[in-house]
Amino acid sequence: MGEALAVIARLESDTRAAARGWSDLTIRNVFIIPTIAFLIVFNIFPLIYSLGYSFTDFRASVNQPANFIGLQNFRELLNDPNIWRNFTVTAKYVIVSVGGQVIVGFGMALLLNRQFPFKGLVTTLLLLPMMMSMAVVGLFWKLLYDPSWGIINYALNLGSFDWLSNPDVALYAVAITDIWMWAPFVMLLSLAGLSAVPQHLYEAAAIDRAGAWYTFTRITLPLVAPILIIAIIFRTMEAFKSFDLPFIMSGQPTTETISIRLYKMAFQEWQTGRSSALAYIVLIVVLAITNIYVKYLNKVKER
Amino acid sequence: MLRKHWTALLAGAALSFSVTAASAAELTIFWAEWDPANYLQELVNEYTAETGVTVTVETTPWTDFQTKAFTEFNAHGDAYDMVVGDSQWLGAGSTGGHYVDLTDFFNQHKLTDVMAPATVKYYAEYPGNSGKYWAIPLEGDAAGWAYRKDWFEDPKEKEAFKAKYGYDLGVPENYDQLRDIAEFFYRPDEKKYGIAIYTDNSYDAMAMGIESAVFSYGGDLGDYSTYKVDGIINSPENVKAVEMYKALYGFTPPNWGKTFFQEDNQAITEDLAAMSMNFFAFFPALDNPAVNPHAAQTGYFANPKGPTGEQHAALGGQGISVITYSQNKEEAMKFLEWFIRDDVQQKWADLGGYTCSQAVLKSDAFRNATPYNEAFYQSMFMVKDFWAVPEYAELLTQMNNRIYPYVVGGEGTAKEALDGLAADWNATFKKYGRM
Amino acid sequence: MAAVTSPGRRAYNRIAIALVLVITIIFLTPIYWIASTAFKPRALATSVPPTVLFQPEVTPFIKLFTKRVQLRGPVDPATYEAAPWWEKAIYDGGERILKVGDSIQLSPYPDRFLNSLIIAVSSTFLAVVMGTLTAYGFSRFRVPGENDWLFFILSTRMLPPVVVAIPMFLMYRLVGMTDTHIGLIILYTAFNLSFSVWLMKGFMDEIPKEYEEAALVDGYTRLQAFFKIVLPEATTGIAATAVFSFIIAWNEYAFALIMTNRRAQTAPPFIPAQVGSGLTDWTVIAAGTFLFLLPVAIFTFALRGHLLRGVTFGAIRK
Repeated sequence: MGEALAVIARLESDTRAAARGWSDLTIRNVFIIPTIAFLIVFNIFPLIYSLGYSFTDFRASVNQPANFIGLQNFRELLNDPNIWRNFTVTAKYVIVSVGGQVIVGFGMALLLNRQFPFKGLVTTLLLLPMMMSMAVVGLFWKLLYDPSWGIINYALNLGSFDWLSNPDVALYAVAITDIWMWAPFVMLLSLAGLSAVPQHLYEAAAIDRAGAWYTFTRITLPLVAPILIIAIIFRTMEAFKSFDLPFIMSGQPTTETISIRLYKMAFQEWQTGRSSALAYIVLIVVLAITNIYVKYLNKVKER
Repeated sequence: MLRKHWTALLAGAALSFSVTAASAAELTIFWAEWDPANYLQELVNEYTAETGVTVTVETTPWTDFQTKAFTEFNAHGDAYDMVVGDSQWLGAGSTGGHYVDLTDFFNQHKLTDVMAPATVKYYAEYPGNSGKYWAIPLEGDAAGWAYRKDWFEDPKEKEAFKAKYGYDLGVPENYDQLRDIAEFFYRPDEKKYGIAIYTDNSYDAMAMGIESAVFSYGGDLGDYSTYKVDGIINSPENVKAVEMYKALYGFTPPNWGKTFFQEDNQAITEDLAAMSMNFFAFFPALDNPAVNPHAAQTGYFANPKGPTGEQHAALGGQGISVITYSQNKEEAMKFLEWFIRDDVQQKWADLGGYTCSQAVLKSDAFRNATPYNEAFYQSMFMVKDFWAVPEYAELLTQMNNRIYPYVVGGEGTAKEALDGLAADWNATFKKYGRM
Repeated sequence: MAAVTSPGRRAYNRIAIALVLVITIIFLTPIYWIASTAFKPRALATSVPPTVLFQPEVTPFIKLFTKRVQLRGPVDPATYEAAPWWEKAIYDGGERILKVGDSIQLSPYPDRFLNSLIIAVSSTFLAVVMGTLTAYGFSRFRVPGENDWLFFILSTRMLPPVVVAIPMFLMYRLVGMTDTHIGLIILYTAFNLSFSVWLMKGFMDEIPKEYEEAALVDGYTRLQAFFKIVLPEATTGIAATAVFSFIIAWNEYAFALIMTNRRAQTAPPFIPAQVGSGLTDWTVIAAGTFLFLLPVAIFTFALRGHLLRGVTFGAIRK
């Protein structure tokens, strides 16, 4: 009797469980569809708008209708040496800046990945640089770099070395500021990834008398890779869109990123059609690069 | 879980509802973030006191002013009732249908006699000589110069200067003297430099600086009625003027490659340069001892002559226009009627606004009110402006792209830069069917 | 973290910690400089050599909160005497506070600050919640075209804001959402979703599915497993996502500038524009930045336990 009751009780709880819980399919749909729908609705209009205008000579500032001109915008843009210069400047900036962020950020994470007093406080303090708006960071670093009243030249005893007005150095100066600001981002994510590496793997390696380099490349890196690559993907996308820092800090043609050019075209000259075309070119470039990263990320995860 | 979503959304919606309820009898004037906007706010507080209509001067930084204004215009937005727009915006504002036609208002109140002629021509009329008016001149401005009187009056300096250049050290009468003085005071090891000029190429700063030189050298940017630029923008006088500007850049403090009014004022307050170019609108700061430790030793002079004796200054300043999409146009017109009253214009000048009213400008009281008003008065009768056509921003960008690499980057020659600019501008004018 | 603490390891540890301190100090010098500028008298703000020791004052903060104009001449002595200490400080700086009648005109800063709080908190909450759910969906269930959907989500972050700005602005105008709080909240949520989904998925993929499967065998429903097993394991990811989303929403400049005006505009477009009297007033910018930094810093500090907890695994690993 007791047994039967137990079976009935369990059956009931099973049914109750089945009745209570949503099916996997429902959960999956409820969790995913709102986000995707939201993003589609939000992005579809701007994307179509821009795409449409990229084939016209439309200017939002005059009351004349748009004329369809086919691929003329694209042709003119791709043949414009100034645009190519903007792309090279942006590419250099992305490589230097993201590279620097990864080296500094990951390096700091490696150093922080141990127990020490006030670890929470130190970590929060190290995150401060990215907590300020880029406009403010740009303004203050412009002041810091100033030879006449900035601290950098004073502290490093560089006299009147010109950072931001010097066409050759300006891009690197801005990149340094970018690195300073976003290395903490990479650092925090790397730290989270590093702490996911199971202790026993390190212990096993130590017992096997594995060298530091071996431990690093065969154990640490592969396990941190997924999160680190995500960080790199997002930082790369952001670096491609760089506008605030180079715009505020320096007016050199050697620091004019593609975003600055887009801004001037769209908001100063009001060449809506042309700027839409340029935006699509940029989008395709970023899509291509990110695609490579994502494929690599998927490969890493499968290991 | 989902319920939390909706609650948050509803809460946000409710909140936004409560803060978007608009109040009646309100006017919004849009301007850039600078002192004159603060003075205007003070002035319009009196209108509020008189009529009960709240007037708010909404501001945004200079770098974003054009962007924000035109974004609103192009979207036919009603966030602003009036705008104190740059003189260059007249073309875009009028042909784009964003500005209300004020010609009748002008003629009714005979504003062509009330306001100084240059201000009417450049702040209000478009197209040139058409008799159609789109703005009331509000803030007169021109490019002028500040200098360190104590450096100039130091007997040792005067001696050394006379010995080296053969004439007395004093306020430069022409650009060659300006250059000599800049060179004389350029002493990098003492952290003292000769001159401070505009070089910011994100909007019109550098263009204004170059203009001052070009106009005084007897040159022009082009024919404003026929849009011909060949032989004008790249004329021999202009080449010399741009070369002179580059020479002056050589005597500026280090890291002077992206400067506008703040940096040029700092050149004086921080004891860096002997002379500094700036719009008159920014000189009150230099006259204020709490801001400028050298206020008592700061003098001012109008833009010097060129080698041929011609003298002009680049025009700054803005006029106030009524926006077509405003919901309060009638109220705005009433405000303008109040604004042009003589007593209001006088109050505007007293508060610190640069009135364009002829009567006030010519008065001795005005000319002696501050150390820089005399130079300002002189400048306002010899000003010239940039293109006011709707595509002015493109012309500006092209000018920045050609001249900046030469002056700051040291690339190419002045002639090449100007020839390139002539080609650019030609292409642009052709594109818009002007030639 | 090394569990085997041989003397070599301990020395290595100490060197690492020393390095951390050195790097922290160098890294934070600009921040210290900005923070200290917020308390300096205006004349010392851009002095070289930089003043390290000085008499701190709160004048910059007074300036931050009031609308001021330049003085056009010396102050009337009677007015000066009658003024409270903070107003005297403004007079000393060559400015005077704008008044309507007798009440002082506040600067837009307090309003903007409040707007920032409302908008950033709401959008962060939404982005984290939606992102976590969506990440779980992608991580645990088979979704047709999964990689494509994920890539689509990623791509929403690729277009430079300058280009999306005009159509976005027009879109908002159409539905009357310009200059509203809800407008920016929705916008920032959309921004942060991409990152939120990807980061949360990254963390969730690291949580072994075996945990949930064990729970399901024990009679938990999928939802219960999600709440009781997965979420607690994912707190590091949630904390990181929350912090980053908050920072991005908090400091966003371009759309705040374009989409909003007086009513709903946030602080970032306001702070850098403090041009006092024809010269940049660095002390006021620093004061504004300093105050604006506090909520973010406090929020991050409060979450530091979760951020650093990491994901710990037992013996269950592939």
